[in-house]
Formats: sequence, structure tokens, C-alpha cells
Amino acid sequence: MRALLLAALWAHLASSVLLMGAFSMLLLAGVPDAPTARRWDETVVRWSRLLVLGAIGSGIVWLLVRTAIFENRPHAALEPRAVWHAALDTWPGLVWLARHGLLVVLGAFLAIRVSIAERRNWIAARGEALVLAALALALISASSHAAAIATGTMLAVASDVTHLLGTGVWLGSLAPLALLLRAASREAGADARPCAVRAARRFSRTALIAMLVLMASGVMNALAQVESVAALAGTTHGRLLLTKLGVLIPILALAVVNRTRILPALPGPNAMRRLAAFVGLEAGLALVLLVLAAAMTLTTPARHAQPVWPLSFRLSPDTLLDAPATRWRALLGSQLALVGVIALIASLLVRGRRAPMLAGALALVAAGAGIGLPPLVVDAYPTSYRRPLLTYHAASIASGMGVYRQHCASCHGATGDGDGTAMRAPVDLRLAPTSRRHAGEIYWLVGHGIPGRGMPSFDRRLDEARRWDVINLIRALGAANESKRVGRQVEPDRAWIVAPDFTVSVGPLAPGALRDYRGRRMVLLVLYTLPGSRARMTELARSYDLLWVMGVEVIAVPTHASPEAIGELGSSPPVLFPVVTDGGTEIVTTYCMFAPGPHAELLIDRQGYIRAIWKDDTAPEVTAVQAQVERLNEEKSPPPFPDDHVH
Amino acid sequence: MPVWQVALVLNLTFAVGLGLGYAGWGRRAAALDREFDAVRAQVERLEREREACAGGARAGEQQWEGRGVVRAAYARLLVITHEEIRGLLPARTTGFRAASPKMRDAVRVGDPIRFSLRGTVVDDAVLVAIERW
Repeated sequence: MRALLLAALWAHLASSVLLMGAFSMLLLAGVPDAPTARRWDETVVRWSRLLVLGAIGSGIVWLLVRTAIFENRPHAALEPRAVWHAALDTWPGLVWLARHGLLVVLGAFLAIRVSIAERRNWIAARGEALVLAALALALISASSHAAAIATGTMLAVASDVTHLLGTGVWLGSLAPLALLLRAASREAGADARPCAVRAARRFSRTALIAMLVLMASGVMNALAQVESVAALAGTTHGRLLLTKLGVLIPILALAVVNRTRILPALPGPNAMRRLAAFVGLEAGLALVLLVLAAAMTLTTPARHAQPVWPLSFRLSPDTLLDAPATRWRALLGSQLALVGVIALIASLLVRGRRAPMLAGALALVAAGAGIGLPPLVVDAYPTSYRRPLLTYHAASIASGMGVYRQHCASCHGATGDGDGTAMRAPVDLRLAPTSRRHAGEIYWLVGHGIPGRGMPSFDRRLDEARRWDVINLIRALGAANESKRVGRQVEPDRAWIVAPDFTVSVGPLAPGALRDYRGRRMVLLVLYTLPGSRARMTELARSYDLLWVMGVEVIAVPTHASPEAIGELGSSPPVLFPVVTDGGTEIVTTYCMFAPGPHAELLIDRQGYIRAIWKDDTAPEVTAVQAQVERLNEEKSPPPFPDDHVH
Repeated sequence: MPVWQVALVLNLTFAVGLGLGYAGWGRRAAALDREFDAVRAQVERLEREREACAGGARAGEQQWEGRGVVRAAYARLLVITHEEIRGLLPARTTGFRAASPKMRDAVRVGDPIRFSLRGTVVDDAVLVAIERW
């Protein structure tokens, strides 16, 4: 079914691109002024009528197959009601109707037998056909991956439309140009040579602009759909894009040869014949390119797919922090490569001694890479860039702690400091390099073990969710270790400890979450124990109005979870801030790693970072908290929102 | 008719069609959406009024139902952390006047409750019934 869908989509895309290119090429060549050129003009229009039929036919097949996939029943493709539903009640269906309506109008317009002998009539006829074909092609973006992007949809769609129109102008024009050149290269078609030369030169200039537009819009599309190198190399969508770029290279090479070598030799018949052959070859490769483009639209965009890293290594600048002695090597290599790149650009700009300069530039880049990259190489695994299944949440961390105690603590120690007894020289999980490893790498090592160091495989003992729980715990252990540097004073513009998310359940009401406050309010998280914390809780209850006005929500969590927690705090003064009555154990387990003690308070900023901690059982003065809140309110450049998953 | 005129008419038809389509269908759809929201709100208000009348309220008064947790209790005022009260308030902590001082005795701080409010707007809404959840 998917092969049929791919074939239909390719046929439809190719027909649409060729249709736009055909009329773009006719207009570039200008009003045909010789019999051979007129015959070529008529041939292109005749082929265009067939292309319209092809586009509509393949479009219908595409709609039928999509209906079957949409309904999850092969027979649905032949049921008028299901097809009607897919066409009228889905967004891609409505876009399909609009596009095919345009194609029908274009077909009718081309079928009209009218005189176009007059220049303005010819321009109007070809121009109108070009506009209709371009509209039909551009509307593909309205139901593409670009239209599904949540933020910046308009920009993504505009970029996709530009890419499609650039493709139509450049790749779609190749076939009609090859036809014209071929006809003009023959003795019988010599009268069309001035027209062919004019067309080739105009096309060459237009194609250069179209190529630059395609490169720019292609980069924007890749940034929107692929996002990262890992997604480019590790997903089907990304690899299709790489293959597409691979096919583009010979097309560009042929274009360069045509532009620099053959075009200046026109209108010689040999040059024209050779140009026709090369342009025809380009057109053939363009059809392959369109197969890959069609396949890309049928695959999950790389940014949403789980990347499978194909290499056994990756580059990590963090390694320089662990091995300062290698920094000079990386610095030297980067500078050599930089000089090489500058020399490379210069070699393309200068006219004389280009070859030796190019060779020298490439040698410098290679030497720079050879010297600078090896220190950055670290081991990588297929899951290195895998996205965590679970968010960085107190429930996951607390669950990970149970798994850790059962399976890991005997070697890595109760706190992850490597103070266990069952393994020779276990690593300290709180420090680099463990803290700098990608979460996906730890996932792999937990699953497969490290046989050389005695670390067993937990592939069969821990399911995926439990492994991610342990990884969230390891990240929390590292963060807790780092949090020793967070004091009672907010350091302006320095936020690096992400507060693990947690659920705020007050009685049987619908629960909220810490992340609900992001961008809206700071949170003063209070871990309290009665009766020791009673005085402080009374003070907080009295100053809650002021804290609220200053932009702070107070969330109180009893260290001994109880459904009666609100009642236990008493009614005078009334405690009006949220008091967690359910799930408090997970919050206490997690946040006690950052601030142990019967009473602790953590100030979390609006972005979700821990900015100040009061621990060691000494509750802060209300004025001290207010002073730190003021500091956060005065912060001019707040940090970006952290990701919900560990990396 | 010359081709250039055909092309011109075709483009004009597209432009006029798009314009009329938006003016006629798009604006009408938006107006219908607004109308539908207004009618739904009115139906909900009438429903609350009917419930209020059934409970002996004056004409024009509505009745709202809510769920929450008691945070503070005074003779004539209960402070409740509540879920969204449809047609009246979003989820938050609010102080409501109690219709009877006896209500205070029926609940303790921390109790989860269901409650009914009656009035015409939020400012004159009064707690008329409370039961433990």
C-alpha cells in the first residue's frame, strides 16, 4: 500500500513540477519566432495537457490510497462515502480538492483552441498556464509536514512554498530545454538556434537564482523538520535528505559544466547537442530527486522520530573540560581549519593559481581536522541521541531510587559516589564524565553493561521505563551535587539547576504540576515537618498575600505525607497556599537530595530553575525570602525554559 | 475572445471567488461560532436559573455547583480552594459568604466538599448548601 502511495505521490509531484517548469521555460524562451521553435512550443503544450491528466490521475490514486490508510481498510478506497469523507472532512482532503480544482481549470484552459499568433495573446496564454500550475504546485505545502509545525507555521509553509516553486522553475524546466536544444542541434532545426541560445542563457541565469533560493529554503526546511545532526544521520527522514543531497551533487556538477564550459561554446551544433544531452541527464536525475522528496513526505519528520546513531563515536567539546592537556590541540586544529576555509573561499574568488590554492586550502582543512578532532572523539552508541521516554519528574526519580537501591547501590554506593563494595573501581555517578554523558548513552550502558569493568547488563531485568527512571535519578544525583553551590542568595543571571517537575495534589481536586507555573509565577517550595515548622508555616500564612503580590506561589509539602495535612496546619491564621496532600513522598524523596532536613525551602524561578536554597533546618526570615524574590524580579535576561527531559 | 482577455477574466474570477468565499463563508462561519457560544452560555445560564428557582430562589438568580477543599472557616465566610465553577469562576481559592452560620459547624479546615452557590453574579453569590465530598 505504501509503495503504491509513494508511486502515486511521485507521479503527481513530478507532473506538477514539470507542468510549472514547462510554462516557465516557454516564457523564458520568449515568443517562438521560427518554425522549429513554434513546433517545440506546441509539443511542450501538448505534453502539458498529458501532464495535467497525469497529475489528476495520480492525484486520484493518491486520494484513494490515503482513504484506505485513513480508514484502515483497503476496501475503503472503493467506497464513495469513505472517499467523500476523506476529501471533505480532512484538511489534506480539502487541500486536495483545491489543488485538483486548479488542475482541472488548467486542463480546460489548455484544451481551448484559440489563436495565440499575437504576442500579447501568447504571453497571456503561457503566463496564465504558469500561474495556475504554480498555484497548484505551491498548495502542496498547505498539507505538508511544514503545515503541521506548531510554532512558526507561516514561516515554515512560506519556506516550503519557496522550495517547491524553486524546484518547479529549475528542475521542471530541464526537460523542455533539453527538447529545444535537441531540436535545434539538428540541421533541420537550425532556424531555432537563436531561440535555443536565448533560452539556454536566460535559463542559466534563472537557474542560478533558483538554486540559491532552493539552498536557502532547503536549509530553513531542514532546520524546521530535522533540527539536529543526530536526527539527520539517525532517522529515515534525515537519511533520505542526505541521499537527496547526494543526488543533488551530480546535478550541480552538470550545471556547473554546462554553465562554464558548454554555454559559452553555443550556438555551435556540437555544443548544443552536448548541452541537450547533459540537460537531459540533469532532468533524469531530477526525477530521482523527486522520488526521494516524495518518500520524505511519507516518513515521520526527523524531529519527531527516535534517532538511531549510526557511528561508534561522536564529537564532544565537553571532553576538553576533563582533559585540559588536549585543549591546545583542539585550538591549533580549529585555527588551521579556519585558515583553510578562508583559503578555500579565496580560491573560489581568485582567477589565477586557483588549483594550487584550492589544494593548499583543502590540505589545511584536512590537517586542522586531523589535529583538532581526535581529542573530541568519545564513544557513542545507537541510542546516544535517544529521547527519554519519561520526563524529569519527581515520581520518576523516586521510582528510580527504588530501582537504584535494588540493582545499583551495591556497586555505585547509596549516593552514587562510587563507594560500593561489589565492583572494582566503580565510577562516581554524580561527577563528569557520567554527568556529561548523553542520557541515551547511559540508557545503552545500563541496558548492555560494560563487560570490561564488571558492569552487568540490565537489559532483561529492567524494562525501558525503569531504565529511564534510573537515568532521571542519576541526573538528579548530579544536579543535587551541583546544588551545593546554590546558596541562600540568588546569583543574578546564573541558573543551571533545573527543578524536577512534580504533581501538586490538594485534596481530591484535579491535580496541577510545578511546570504549570512556568512563565507565570515563582514557586517557594517548602518541605516542612510539624511541630518543628509550625512557627515558620504561621509566618508564611501571614505573609502569603505579600508573596503572592510579588509573584510567588508557595507550595507546602509535609515530609510525612498525610491526607489531613491541611487540617493539621490549623485554621488560625488560615493557610491559603497549596498544601500537597497526595504524592508528597515522591516530592520529599527527590527534593531532600537537594535540601535535606526536617525543614527546607527552595526558591524556583519563573523558568523552572532552583535559584536559592534554605536548608539545615534553619528557616529563613520572611524578609530574606522577599529580598531574593526581588532579585529575581529585577533579573533582566531570564534563562530559557529548560527541556522537560534530561539530555 | 482573445486569450489575454480569457486569462484576465479567469484571474478576476479567481480573485472575486476568493473574496466572496471569504466574505460569505468565512465570515458567516465565524459569526455562527460566536452565535453558538452565546446560545450555549445562555442555555447554561437558564439551566442554572431553573435549578435556582426549583430551590426557592428569586427570579433572575442562578445556581452554580462546585467542588473544593475548605481552607478557612468563619461564621459568615468560608474560604475554599475550588475547581473551575462553570459559568462563574476559574479554579482558585475564593472566599464565599455562607447563607447560614451553621455551615461553619458542618465542616473543618482541610475537608473536601461539594457546594452550591446562588446569586446573580460572583459578588453576590452565597453558599446555600455544603456536603462532604
